[in-house]
Amino acid sequence: MYYNRPVSSRRRFEEELGPAWRREARPSFDNMDYIVAILLPQMLHGLVFGATLGLLALGLTVIFGLLGVMNIAHGELFMLGAYFGIAVIGLTQSFWVAVILAPLHVGVVGALMEVLTLRPLYRREPLYGLILTFGLALALREIVREIWGGDMRRIMEPITGSVPLLGMIYPRYRLFLLAASLLLLLAIWLFFTKTRAGIIVRAAVQDAEMLDGLGVNVPRVFTLTFAGSAALAALAGLLLAPIFTVVPTMGVEMILLAFIVVILGGMGSLGGSVLAALVIGEAQSLFSLWMNPQRVAIAIFAIMIFVLIVRPRGFFGREGVLE
Amino acid sequence: MTGRFGWRMWAVFAALAVLPTFPFMTGYRLNLAFDALLFGIVAMSLDLLMGYTGLVSFGHAAFLGLGAYSTAILLERGVRSLWLCLGAAVLVVGLYALLVGYFATTRRGIYFALLTLIFAEVVYTFFRYTMAFGGSDGIQGLEAAWVLPGVPASAIDSPLKNYYLVLAVLFLTYLACRTLVDSHFGKVLIAIRENEDRARFLGYNVRRYKLAVCVISGLLAGLAGAIYPIRLANATPDLLLWTVSGEAIVMVMIGGIGTLVGPIVGGAFFIVLQEEVSTYAPKIYQAIGLSADKGVGLHFLIIGVILVLIVIFMPKGLLGALRPARRREPRLAAPAPAGGGK
Repeated sequence: MYYNRPVSSRRRFEEELGPAWRREARPSFDNMDYIVAILLPQMLHGLVFGATLGLLALGLTVIFGLLGVMNIAHGELFMLGAYFGIAVIGLTQSFWVAVILAPLHVGVVGALMEVLTLRPLYRREPLYGLILTFGLALALREIVREIWGGDMRRIMEPITGSVPLLGMIYPRYRLFLLAASLLLLLAIWLFFTKTRAGIIVRAAVQDAEMLDGLGVNVPRVFTLTFAGSAALAALAGLLLAPIFTVVPTMGVEMILLAFIVVILGGMGSLGGSVLAALVIGEAQSLFSLWMNPQRVAIAIFAIMIFVLIVRPRGFFGREGVLE
Repeated sequence: MTGRFGWRMWAVFAALAVLPTFPFMTGYRLNLAFDALLFGIVAMSLDLLMGYTGLVSFGHAAFLGLGAYSTAILLERGVRSLWLCLGAAVLVVGLYALLVGYFATTRRGIYFALLTLIFAEVVYTFFRYTMAFGGSDGIQGLEAAWVLPGVPASAIDSPLKNYYLVLAVLFLTYLACRTLVDSHFGKVLIAIRENEDRARFLGYNVRRYKLAVCVISGLLAGLAGAIYPIRLANATPDLLLWTVSGEAIVMVMIGGIGTLVGPIVGGAFFIVLQEEVSTYAPKIYQAIGLSADKGVGLHFLIIGVILVLIVIFMPKGLLGALRPARRREPRLAAPAPAGGGK
């Protein structure tokens, strides 16, 4: 009630243009133009959004598996990525420098957060982590508002123009975003399966105590992983910023979607999170063709409630995680 | 009256009752006191779930908002009786609480929190986009409710009457909560918090107890919500936002979980701090030459830092830390096995 309402530009677009646009564009399915001009771009939009959402959800689920903390401040790290990006772009005039520097700095913020606030909670109930990170989220959001103000900002697309693709015209930046997200997801998968560091993180998720016994510095693993997930969220925030608008409350809405993704995918399951992110991205994108935003949001919640009732552990959830 | 509702509480309520006679209680301060006590009720109702049963609800805003909307919808359509408004709120919120409770109580811990959160978001989305209920603007410009049906003279239309209304509701809900937690029912709730499986082995239908406390807690928050539009003359979807649920948790944590009185203090503290900071911070900012609109949300920074410090250093909250350990400290849900929080 005391907030600027967290309305994403996507939703605002839907509200202003949606109904009229949709009424005209609701021909029958046998129309090839419909598929090419409406359905295909929308599916690609969904894929782009889902892949970036996957980056956000992956960090969330790794932290959950590792520390047992459902990190509400993850949305604020996502938001910080966009704002740090704005700061770097202001200094260097280059989006690409920001893509490198902003996540690094947010990673440092994440590491500090972990060492200073989460470390004292290691042996307490997971719900304290939820409450603590809510406090962190409040504080981070206000710090950003104090520094940058509450106005909406935009980051210009670093890659402009559109290319013909499969008979339609598609913006280049979104294609870049899709490629970048998929490459990052692939890199993360390789990290977790092929590198020693990744295997240590997975071992820590499985049994931190045993890993400690084997002589691994587990607190350092926790801190570095938290920093990594913060950097990933920041990168997602920065990459999505040219499509959405940048406001201090932009994380509030994203974190809910990311929560839904993590629960759908199964708490602590990496593959499940990515799959669920793509499903949610596609669902949101396609539903908005046929429904108003209210029904889209409710449909997403309905999917999640249904999955929780039918398959309480989500797609690939492990047994006994926080039950 | 049971033992825990001692003379100190009577003294506090008596002091609250004579508070408006002091000259410094202007209309503005009375309205502030209304908000403070109202959110005190919400926080106290959440404490029944958090502090006594060990269930953290991240969807309390839905109960509050549903209560507010049911009153607002009735007032807008010309139903001016206070009792009808309260009755409708109890009905609507009760049904919703049954629904949420039915699904959410099957799960524990984080899952309970997230399920209540998602259900609350459904309610938020519904009111946010339903144009019949004003969409994002909510329902504005409501008229005062009447205590006696059909008697306009009994309208609750001044800050003083509002204040006594919320005080009466606070008194009754506190009485109800205190009686409840001191009863056998309350003892079972604490048993569930301490060890759910053992409570089940003792033969208690744990699920039914949890469902019951969900409904009771929701109803109390809904009652608070039902009187919300009577002072503010509006109900907006922002009241249903999940961050409001988070704020309710903050109030409980600041005041002290499992104490009932603590959350009331926490809620009042939160509201007063919010009001004072958002009034004075922009003025100070302006005086030293900064943009005034930046100071508006400064209290969230303060509250956020206080919450972090409390969770780390005083997990029992302010009141919990002051109070001598009379019995085992309240806990949130089942303890986690050692080792990395897992």
